[in-house]
Amino acid sequence: MLRYITIRLLQGVVVIFLVSITSFIIMQLAPGDPVDILIGEQQITPEQIAAIERKWGLDRPWYVQYFTWLGNVFTGDFGTSVVRTGQPVREMIFEAAPQTIKLNLLSLIVSMLIAIPIGVLAAVKRYSLFDYGSMVGATLGIALPNYWIGLMLIIVFSLKLGWLPPYGSGSWKSYILPVAVLASQEMAILARLSRGTTSEALSQDYVTTARAKGLRDRTVVTRHVVRNALLPVVTMIGYRIAFLLSGTIVVETIFAWPGIGQLFFNSIDRMDYQVVQAIVLLLATLVVVANLVTDLVYAYIDPRIRVR
Amino acid sequence: MARSVDVLALLRQASPVTRREILKRAALGGISGPALMAMLRSDASAAPAGPAPRLRQRSQDGEPVQGGTLVLTGHQEIASLSPDDTGPTVHWVMITQIHNALVEMDENLQFNPVLAESLPEVSEDGLTYTFKLRQGVKFHDGEEFTSEDVKYTYEWYMNPDNAAINAADFAMVEAVEAPDPYTVIVRMKEPYAPFLARVASKFIVPAHYHSQVGETEYKGKPIGTGPFKLKEWRPAEYTEVEAFEDHFRGRPHLDAIREEVVPEPSVRAIGLETGEAHSSVWPLTPEDNIRLAEDSNFVVFVTSAFAVNHFPLNNKLPQLSDKRVRQAMMYAIDRETVIDEIFQGAAVVATSNLSPAMGDFYNPNVKEYPYDPDQANALLDEAGWVMGSDGVREKDGMKLSFVCTTITGDQTRRPEAELVQQYLKEVGIDMQLQEAPVATILEQLRKGEMDASLFNWTYGGDYADPDDGGTLRSDGGSNFSQFQNARVDELLDAGLREIDREKRIAIYHEIQEIIAEEVPFLFISYWDWYNIFSSKVKGLPESALVGDQIYAKAYQWWIEE
Repeated sequence: MLRYITIRLLQGVVVIFLVSITSFIIMQLAPGDPVDILIGEQQITPEQIAAIERKWGLDRPWYVQYFTWLGNVFTGDFGTSVVRTGQPVREMIFEAAPQTIKLNLLSLIVSMLIAIPIGVLAAVKRYSLFDYGSMVGATLGIALPNYWIGLMLIIVFSLKLGWLPPYGSGSWKSYILPVAVLASQEMAILARLSRGTTSEALSQDYVTTARAKGLRDRTVVTRHVVRNALLPVVTMIGYRIAFLLSGTIVVETIFAWPGIGQLFFNSIDRMDYQVVQAIVLLLATLVVVANLVTDLVYAYIDPRIRVR
Repeated sequence: MARSVDVLALLRQASPVTRREILKRAALGGISGPALMAMLRSDASAAPAGPAPRLRQRSQDGEPVQGGTLVLTGHQEIASLSPDDTGPTVHWVMITQIHNALVEMDENLQFNPVLAESLPEVSEDGLTYTFKLRQGVKFHDGEEFTSEDVKYTYEWYMNPDNAAINAADFAMVEAVEAPDPYTVIVRMKEPYAPFLARVASKFIVPAHYHSQVGETEYKGKPIGTGPFKLKEWRPAEYTEVEAFEDHFRGRPHLDAIREEVVPEPSVRAIGLETGEAHSSVWPLTPEDNIRLAEDSNFVVFVTSAFAVNHFPLNNKLPQLSDKRVRQAMMYAIDRETVIDEIFQGAAVVATSNLSPAMGDFYNPNVKEYPYDPDQANALLDEAGWVMGSDGVREKDGMKLSFVCTTITGDQTRRPEAELVQQYLKEVGIDMQLQEAPVATILEQLRKGEMDASLFNWTYGGDYADPDDGGTLRSDGGSNFSQFQNARVDELLDAGLREIDREKRIAIYHEIQEIIAEEVPFLFISYWDWYNIFSSKVKGLPESALVGDQIYAKAYQWWIEE
C-alpha cells in the first residue's frame, strides 16, 4: 500500500511539473505582457516601455523566467505580481483561496444533502410524479446558465424583495445567493447521477435476493442499494473536491466575490505570469491529490478494488 | 476659452467668460437645460450631444451633516494606491483622496492651487516655474509637508532607475530646486506647454516615508496630505479610506469612503438602486445609464469622453496603406446608425483624433465623412480595387481583406464590429473578426503585427492637454496604426513647446485636419460618459465637464439619509 502511494505521489509530481511548464510556455507564446496594460494611456516611447519591461525582468528568455520562479517556489516565494506589486503572490492567493473554498464547500454540502436523497427517492419511486418533477428540475439546473440564474436571483431577492445583498462577501447573508446558484447546478448533476446508479443497483440480483429473504423495502434500500449506488457518486464528489478552487469564475464575477476564480481570470487577461503560474501549480496539485484520495476512499468502500 | 486649459492664460489669471461661468450663471438664474445647451453650443466649439446634464444648486442641499460612509463601486481591483498608478479610474478615485498635488485640475478643467499657495510664477522665457508652498500642511503620519517632498517626488519620476510609468511627463524637466522649505523652483530644458497638466499635477509623496519603504510597499501603504487616509486595502474586495482629522482644508464631512470591486455592470446598477452603493465610478451599461438618468433618485453628470472610439488600422499593411481605401471605409460606415443601434444614441460622431470636450483645441472644420457608399465605391475603384466574383474587391491578386481583433468578452464593442463588418462588406471590403486579450492586442498593434482592432483610446486629452505624441508620432510608444507622417511629427514637437495659446490651438487644429484627411484609424465616435450619484449625496458640484474629476471633491460632500 505504502509503495503504491509513493509511486502515485511521484507520478503526481511529474504531472504537476508538466502542467506548470506547459501552461507557462503557452502564456509566453501569446504576444503581450502585463506592461502593455500597466502603462495605460500614458504618452510613452518604446524605450520607456522597454525600461519598464526590464525592471520586471520580462525581457529575459522564458526558461530563465520560469526556472528562476520555480527555484523561488521551493523557498516559499511564489513571485511578484506586476499588476498588484504591493502584495506578494502568496498573500494574494491566501486571501482569495479561502473565499472560493468556502463558497464551493458550502454549495457541495448543500447539494449533497438535498440532491442525493432526491435522486435515491426518485429511483425508488420511479415514474412517479416525484420522479418526473425532480428530474425536470435537474434538467433545468443543468440547462440554465449560471449567470442567468445569478442575475435573476439578484433581481428577485435584492432588487424586488430587498432581503439579500446583491453582491459582496461581508455577511452570512451574502452567501445565500451565490451558494444557491452553484448548488443548483451541482444538485442537478448529483440528483441525476444518484438516481441512475440507484436504479441500476435496484435491478441487481442481490436486491432480488434481499427482497426474497423478506427484508422490508426500506432496509433493502438503505442497507444494500445505497451503499453500492453511491460508489460513482463518491467519485463525482472526489472529482468536485479537486475543483473546490476553481469553477466559480462566473459566480464570483456576478456576485463580486473576491475568490481565486476572479484572480485567475484577471491575471490571465493581463498576462500576469507569476500569479497565473502560482494558481496553476496550486490547482494541479489539488487535482493530483484529490485523485489519489478518491482512489484510496474507493478502496475503502469497495473491497474488490482493495484486493487488486 | 471653453473646456481646455492653457498655461499662460491660466497663469495670467486672465479669465474671460468660461464655460463654467456660463453653467454657474445658468444655475443661479434658473436657465433651463436645453436653453443652456444651446448657449454652450453657440460658444465656438461643439458641445456634446446626449441628454443635458442635470443642473443642481448646491444651496438646495442644506447644511452639511457630519459622518457616514460613502460607498463607491468600480469594475476592477484597486491594484495600487501609488500616484504613479493613477491611470485606471478605479485607482485614481482613491489615490486622489489620499494625496494632493501642487495644483490640481477640477471637474471643470480649471487648475487650482492646492499644496501651492497660488499658481506658479513663470519666467519670461517659460523655462522657470516658481511655486510658493502652503504652510502648515501635514502628512497623515503627522510630519510637515515641505519643498523637500516636492523635490523628492519629482526627482523620483525623473530617475531612470525607477522606470516610472509617468517618467515621460518629466522628460523636459532639467532640475527641481528647494531653496527654502516653502519654495520650489522647477527648471525646464525647453518651454513645455503641458507643464501644469503633467508636472505640477503629480501627487506628492512624503520623502521621509517613500524613500524608506520604497515604491513597491508604498503601493499598498500610501501616506499623503489628502483629506482621507488609508484604513484598509483589500485590492480584490474593497479599499477604504477614513477622514484625516488634520487635513489642511479641515476635516471632511464624511467619516469614510469605501470603493468596492463589482465587475458586472448590471450588478453595479442594481447596487445603486438598492442603496448598497452611492455611485459607480465606472460606467454602467448604456441601457442602465439612460434608465437611471431619468430616475429622480439619482443625480447624473453627462460628460463627453476625451477618448475616441476607433478602429486602429495597420497603415503598413498593403491592403490598407492607400489612404483612399481608408477614406472609403469612413464613407462606407453609417456612424449615426452605429451610435443609435449600439450605444442608444449616447455618443457623438467623431471628426478626428480630438474630442469636442477639448474646447478650443477641437477643430470641427475638417474633412467630413457622411455615410456615402457611392463615394466609398468610387474611391475604391479609383484606387484600383476591382470587385471580385465573391463580393470582395481585389488588386494584383490581393484580396481587400483584413482581420479586426476585438477584446475577448467585449460585450459592447463586439456588436459594433459586427455592424461595421456589414457596412464594409457592402462596398467589397472583407473584415474578418476574431478576439484576443487586451495585452495581446496592445502589444501586437504596438509592434505592427496586427491588422486592426476596436477600442477607445485618448489621442490627446489627458488632463485636457491636446498633446498626443505617444500615439500619433511616428515613433510613439502607442502608435497603434503605424502612422508615419513627418508633418504631424513636426507639429507635435512644436505643440509641446508652444506656450502661446492661439498659436498652440492652430497647431492642433492642423493635426486634426491631417488626421481627418489621412484617416490613420477609423474614428467612429466620442462616447458620453455618465457619472451617476445617489441623490442622498449632497454637496456635489453644480456641473462637470470631466466625470472622473468629480470624485476629487469628495471632501466637500456629505450624506443625507
